[in-house]
Amino acid sequence: MNTTNSIGGQPVTIKLAMKMEDSLQAFAVRAACFIGEQDIPYSEEFDGNDFGATHIIAYLGEEPVGAVRLRWFQSFAMPERLAVMQRFRGNAIGELLIERCRQLAESRGARMLYTQALPRDIKYLEKHGWRRVDAGDTGKGPKRVVAMTRPVDPNQPLADADAPDAVTVRNESQVDATGLPLGSNRG
Amino acid sequence: MTVQVTTGSSNRPAITIKLASTSDELMQCYMLRAAVFIGEQACPYWEEYDGNDYSASHLMLYVDGEPAASMRVRWFAGFAKLERAVILKRYRSYGLFIPFVHWAKEFCRKKGYPKAYLHGQKRLWPIFEKDGFRKVDDKVFHFSDHEYGAFACDLDVGENAPTVTTDPMVLNRPEDKLDMPGILEESMERGASNPHAGWTERRAT
Repeated sequence: MNTTNSIGGQPVTIKLAMKMEDSLQAFAVRAACFIGEQDIPYSEEFDGNDFGATHIIAYLGEEPVGAVRLRWFQSFAMPERLAVMQRFRGNAIGELLIERCRQLAESRGARMLYTQALPRDIKYLEKHGWRRVDAGDTGKGPKRVVAMTRPVDPNQPLADADAPDAVTVRNESQVDATGLPLGSNRG
Repeated sequence: MTVQVTTGSSNRPAITIKLASTSDELMQCYMLRAAVFIGEQACPYWEEYDGNDYSASHLMLYVDGEPAASMRVRWFAGFAKLERAVILKRYRSYGLFIPFVHWAKEFCRKKGYPKAYLHGQKRLWPIFEKDGFRKVDDKVFHFSDHEYGAFACDLDVGENAPTVTTDPMVLNRPEDKLDMPGILEESMERGASNPHAGWTERRAT
């Protein structure tokens, strides 16, 4: 089940994490990009949701160079923590990873992809078929994120009403604690 | 051993050093190395995770509970090899390296190793020399894009170093807490019921 193209003669392969070692590779790519490069604290990067999610890894030859985490909700699938090693960017590896997310969501009968984007990434995502859930931002300050959705099947556009209400950044135990998604108590 | 390395006023960050002893702590160690070696220094994945992680001890240093530095220790016959030492970028001005190496040397010494050994990146040689390490010879070698020299530091193991005649229950203790009773000593309260004795007898007949 691999999507393949190549960079400098080396094949790019996408696969789902199925073993401990696979997951560690996904985590290592994220640590390199988010902790090493972007200075995110460890405890924010590894937020407690990694063991209820599907991890997808991109390899260049044998080398893990990209990863994305896909979380599953009742009405949508949520790709997040998309990372590609700095020196391998610009080769559409991120797109291959998101496409694998889309295929997996499709095979499970999900109709919608949902993600939270940084303002600087909105244009890029809109070019790839994502739409903002609403015009308002879901947070304040430098870490504000924008909720975006995309239909799993491009031929079946989403009704506006399908968009989930704001945010699911809390870890799942916190979602469970209230029974409500974060943001639903907004005034 | 949760050891406070820093002293002084309470608004200083709390520094804790311990042996990685759970899968969470191991994961933290691996991720710090990924952040620094793979992310910052562009080391290939398979050079960083070289197959020796599962026969080594891993040391973790925390700043206010957040994973900040790690080190791997491998055990050879006459010496312990300190390697894969990283400090996360945001903690590099905290002066963590020397106390961390001291803790590592103390850990090796208490396990009875008379010598700590390491491959020092050339740019760090003065730091290792200041910390009691001496070059073992004049050789300079390179791997993973960096130049290294081999350094060693003698450790004074004294008379308490573990041997085959050390109290067996001391050898059973968690390795960074050899001077404190461990969980297996607590288990001694249950006595020796030898629950499998019957099974062995059946097999013998």
